[in-house]
Amino acid sequence: MATTTTTTTATATAPAAANTNTVPTPTPPHPRPAAAPAPRAPSNLGPVKSEAPPTPSSTTAATAAATTTASGAEDPSNIITVPSYSAWFSFDSIHDTERRLLPEFFEGEAAAGLGCRGPDAYKYYRNTLIRRFRARPGRRLTLTECRRGLVGDVGSVRRVFDFLEEWGLINYGALPSGSKQAKERREEAVSQSSLPSGVAAPRKLCTACRSVCGLAYYACEKADISLCARCFVCNKYRPGLTAAAFKRIEITEDAKSDWTDKETLHLLEAVLHYREDWKKVSGHVGSRSEKDCIARFIRLPFGEQFMEPKEDRMGFENDDDITDDPGAGVSKRLCLTPLADASNPIMAQVAFLSAIVGSDAASAAAQAAISAQSRVDLNDGEIDSSINSNMEEESSHTNGLSVNDLLKEAASNARAQLEKERNSIEQSLSDIVDIQMKEIQDKICHFEHKEMLMEKERQQRQCLRDLLFADQLAILHHQRRPQAVATESKYDEKPKPVINIS
Amino acid sequence: MKTVSLGASRPSTVSFRMPTRDNLVPIRVDLEVDGQRYRDAFTWNPRDPDSEIISFAKRTAKDLKLPANFVPQMLQSIQGQIAEFRSYEGQEMQIKEKIVPLKIDLRVNNTVIRDQFLWDIGNLDSDPEEFARTLCDDLNITDPEVGPAIAVSIREQLYEIASQSVSVMREKQLSKKGRRAPEFSSNSKAVNNAVDLFKYFGSKGSVIRKRKEWYLYEPVVDVVANEEDGKEETNNSSRPKKRAEEEKVASLQ
Repeated sequence: MATTTTTTTATATAPAAANTNTVPTPTPPHPRPAAAPAPRAPSNLGPVKSEAPPTPSSTTAATAAATTTASGAEDPSNIITVPSYSAWFSFDSIHDTERRLLPEFFEGEAAAGLGCRGPDAYKYYRNTLIRRFRARPGRRLTLTECRRGLVGDVGSVRRVFDFLEEWGLINYGALPSGSKQAKERREEAVSQSSLPSGVAAPRKLCTACRSVCGLAYYACEKADISLCARCFVCNKYRPGLTAAAFKRIEITEDAKSDWTDKETLHLLEAVLHYREDWKKVSGHVGSRSEKDCIARFIRLPFGEQFMEPKEDRMGFENDDDITDDPGAGVSKRLCLTPLADASNPIMAQVAFLSAIVGSDAASAAAQAAISAQSRVDLNDGEIDSSINSNMEEESSHTNGLSVNDLLKEAASNARAQLEKERNSIEQSLSDIVDIQMKEIQDKICHFEHKEMLMEKERQQRQCLRDLLFADQLAILHHQRRPQAVATESKYDEKPKPVINIS
Repeated sequence: MKTVSLGASRPSTVSFRMPTRDNLVPIRVDLEVDGQRYRDAFTWNPRDPDSEIISFAKRTAKDLKLPANFVPQMLQSIQGQIAEFRSYEGQEMQIKEKIVPLKIDLRVNNTVIRDQFLWDIGNLDSDPEEFARTLCDDLNITDPEVGPAIAVSIREQLYEIASQSVSVMREKQLSKKGRRAPEFSSNSKAVNNAVDLFKYFGSKGSVIRKRKEWYLYEPVVDVVANEEDGKEETNNSSRPKKRAEEEKVASLQ
């Protein structure tokens, strides 16, 4: 919270000297002691007249302020500090913040108009107020003195005044006499200074009712106001602030006493040793109760500063209350370490990537890779020693991945069996063919034999025929004896078919 | 932007408001509690919520380091004036295109300023604040409190005129309701103050003022030396000293 109020990014010196010469001439940035006794609020009405002239004067004022330390006011080398959250301010323009927070000047009927409602009027009020404050930076401006010097309705002036004061463009760091904010600021300064010394900081006081805040208080960053719960409910803050500007802050043990590094170290050691036994942990730490230890431990950021090798173990031991991220991160780091040491740089990268991506994604990726590779292998399909050697190479590449090996073995077995089958089939086929050939040959022999026999029978028959013929002749001869002499001559013409069949 | 044409007098009735661009109420507070005197004059926007009045009063008392007894009286005074203003609202007033002479006769801190000028009541876009700023610029008045004082003074006079015109309207309405008698031009100060343009500028019809009358309309600024209890310029509780009675007298004329 205090960090937002640490300041001085922009410095501007008292532009009072530049201010006295407003419209006609741009001011040479020399300190003008003669101008110092000029009235405390040099003609602020000057730049108001119209918008064109003020710009050169205001720019010269700004440049003069930036470059010189004009002794326009009482103190020489006046430096005006502007808080860092108001660094956007410039005399010449209107920033979005202003438009947003003071819409009455910029919206609706006011947007086009001049007069008391309008961007010009706003600029006039704002610039006048700021110049007035910067003329005497040490002194706190009150609304009444300001509005008396501003032509316009007091409601608008008050709103601009409050806005500027909130944002530290007015009365920032001014030493007031008995004002709420200064007291509160002084208090905060005191409390801030006391904290580093290790002394117990003063308890939170409410700026409105000056009583000790109980368990929780409401802090407004914009205006450095802390209210106790009662005052917050009673709306005892300035009208310029809204309830939304306040944040509820619980007063915890941390607020009451800061944890020093030593204590934190003790705490961590104790947790390492005793794991979850908070009694022992608090005993080890010493001056902290169990609750304090637990609370502090939960709030510890598990960042680099706390990273030790033993922390990894602690990452596992913690409750789930402790955010998952540090635990998961620690476990991831653990998983990473064995593979990270792998000599194979590619494997190391793969392991690292898988750790980063997460176990599910990594396993899915691995599966996909394996299936892709194996699909390629199966498609080749030939009984090939090269394939086998490829497989071996692949298997050597993928050392450590056993799934791949098993798959390869199974594939080779299947291939061998296939070949055996083929062989047997061929064998049997050839056997069958042989046998059938034999059969045919036997049949052929048989037929030949049969043919020979038939030839013989034919011949025999032929002989018999001849005999028969001869017999027929003989018979006829006998019949025709008396007459047959003549016929014999006929038969004599025939060759004598006497065949002796033996 | 209401265009105002000289010559033809077109009385128009509008609901009551300050005849200026911003409808702001001039408020004057003059209290004395336990021997401490508090005088102040400022412009208030009647649209601001009433809670603002309370916080304003408290803040003023705190800033000026006035004792707490001031606050309720301050509150009462301010609220009374605002209530009076609000009571006029909703009623009609008749805006004739009157040119009214306004006068300023103030002493603020050490500056005395006297001026008189003509103001167009019918111009509802007129801006006393701008006038005041311009005047201070042109006269090189260094005291920033003079400007608001002038603005408040002008507003007060305009407020006076506006409220009178409301009563004029009311009388007219009453008289109309009553009987059809010839209308009286009521003896209001505003009407008396009205300037008949044609008569004023003479038959020549020139709008340029005669030279011998210039001195009447020149503002006079004097820086008075600190003869009284010298107040530091850096004092928070500087109070504008105005002769309010003279003011009223001036507007009466």
